[in-house]
Amino acid sequence: MGLISWARKKSPWALHFNTGSCNGCDIEVVAAFTPRFDLERFGIILQGSPRHADVLVATGPVVRQTKDRLVRIYEQMPNPKCVVAVGTCAISGAPFTGSYNIHGGIDKVIPVDIYVSGCPPKPEAIINGLIQAIKKYEKKQ
Amino acid sequence: MPFLDIIVFPGLLFLLFLAFFCEWLDRKAVAKLQNRVGPKHTGPEGILQPFADFIKLLSNEDIIPAAVDRIMFSLGPILILTLSLMPLFLIPIAGSSALVWFEGDLIFIMFVMTLRIIITFLSAWSSTNRFSMIGGMRVILQMLAFEIPLTIAMTGPAISARSLSLSKIVQFQASEHLLLLAQPLGFVIVTICLLAELRMVPFDIPKAKTEIVKGWFVEFSGKKLALLRLTEDFELVLAASLMVSLYLGGPIGPWQTQSVLYFFTKLVICILILSNLRALFARFRIDQALKGAWKYLTPLALIQVILVELMPMVIP
Ligand code: SF4
Repeated sequence: MGLISWARKKSPWALHFNTGSCNGCDIEVVAAFTPRFDLERFGIILQGSPRHADVLVATGPVVRQTKDRLVRIYEQMPNPKCVVAVGTCAISGAPFTGSYNIHGGIDKVIPVDIYVSGCPPKPEAIINGLIQAIKKYEKKQ
Repeated sequence: MPFLDIIVFPGLLFLLFLAFFCEWLDRKAVAKLQNRVGPKHTGPEGILQPFADFIKLLSNEDIIPAAVDRIMFSLGPILILTLSLMPLFLIPIAGSSALVWFEGDLIFIMFVMTLRIIITFLSAWSSTNRFSMIGGMRVILQMLAFEIPLTIAMTGPAISARSLSLSKIVQFQASEHLLLLAQPLGFVIVTICLLAELRMVPFDIPKAKTEIVKGWFVEFSGKKLALLRLTEDFELVLAASLMVSLYLGGPIGPWQTQSVLYFFTKLVICILILSNLRALFARFRIDQALKGAWKYLTPLALIQVILVELMPMVIP
């Protein structure tokens, strides 16, 4: 079991999904993968397909249009998986709360493991969130 | 001890180690060229990163979607892995003759590579996903187009050495001269074609991440994805070692010495060439890649073969 949890800790692959954010958080998530911050140091690679990913990095409030897609993407990911909600919107819906087309935060729809607050959070904060997620992911069976 | 040869050195275990090492080297080199650090915290300088990825994927859930053709979908990755591992036994790694060799093994390698394309297409088709189907069509178009200049250019060394066996070509280079000096054009053509066969960046059209998600392996997860990634590493080793044995003299060093270390050094140089090209270029469109293969590479490969035939007449 030691080998597998070591391997999980060393190579969590991320999938980035925009559930309806204003694009501010997305730019910061992408910035975390640029040469300056380089998440590949920790073995984190941005994947295109949910079938290949272990960590779902979701940004923005869940709007009506993306709710079904978010659930489907979450179900397409292989077990074990974890979800990181990036940005205040992803936590609670922030400035958009009460709007007619908003469901609220990500955790209204799928279980969330780590919350990263900020509007938008700094890349350092996102990296910290991902590292916390790795710690949690390593323990999942 | 043939059994030990096949399992340990220069057989399965050595090749597995080599494949992981090559992936690490490639990732690290590309990261350096992009001003990044690359894998860092997995073992010393991240050298265990490919191994960690492999173990993690093996331990993940293996999803078989409801719509796929179960038999082909499960068999595909295993067959592709076998087909990419098989030609590696024909490469002379430790000495001037390979583990297995016979007259005509160059043709056998080409045959296995073509077979691999068909299996790739079948497993892409059987995953019944729009992206993987587009990816599968592109695999067929691109790989079959580049197979032709590759085969023609690879006959160059065979004509010079008067043999269709890789081991004989290496022995010819040991007794005469490196074929890189005689056929630099052929070396360039083979490098470009192998880059396309590997589906590395200027030619990563079949799995263009930003366009068709991951192309033909979009539906594979868990163990199957682990096997497919291992296949890609083996293909990288195969491509680099084909370049080494055809043009750079395999394990032959200066003053007629032979050692696996020479092979290893040349392999590292070839992989650095490949990853340099990978970091340098952006992706072509499929029509541009095909035009390049048919309009430029194929005639150039033919010219190279004609030159090989004419050279001994001009310079005796
Ligand atoms: S948290 Fe701020 S930056 Fe992020 S999506 Fe919401 S409003 Fe945009």
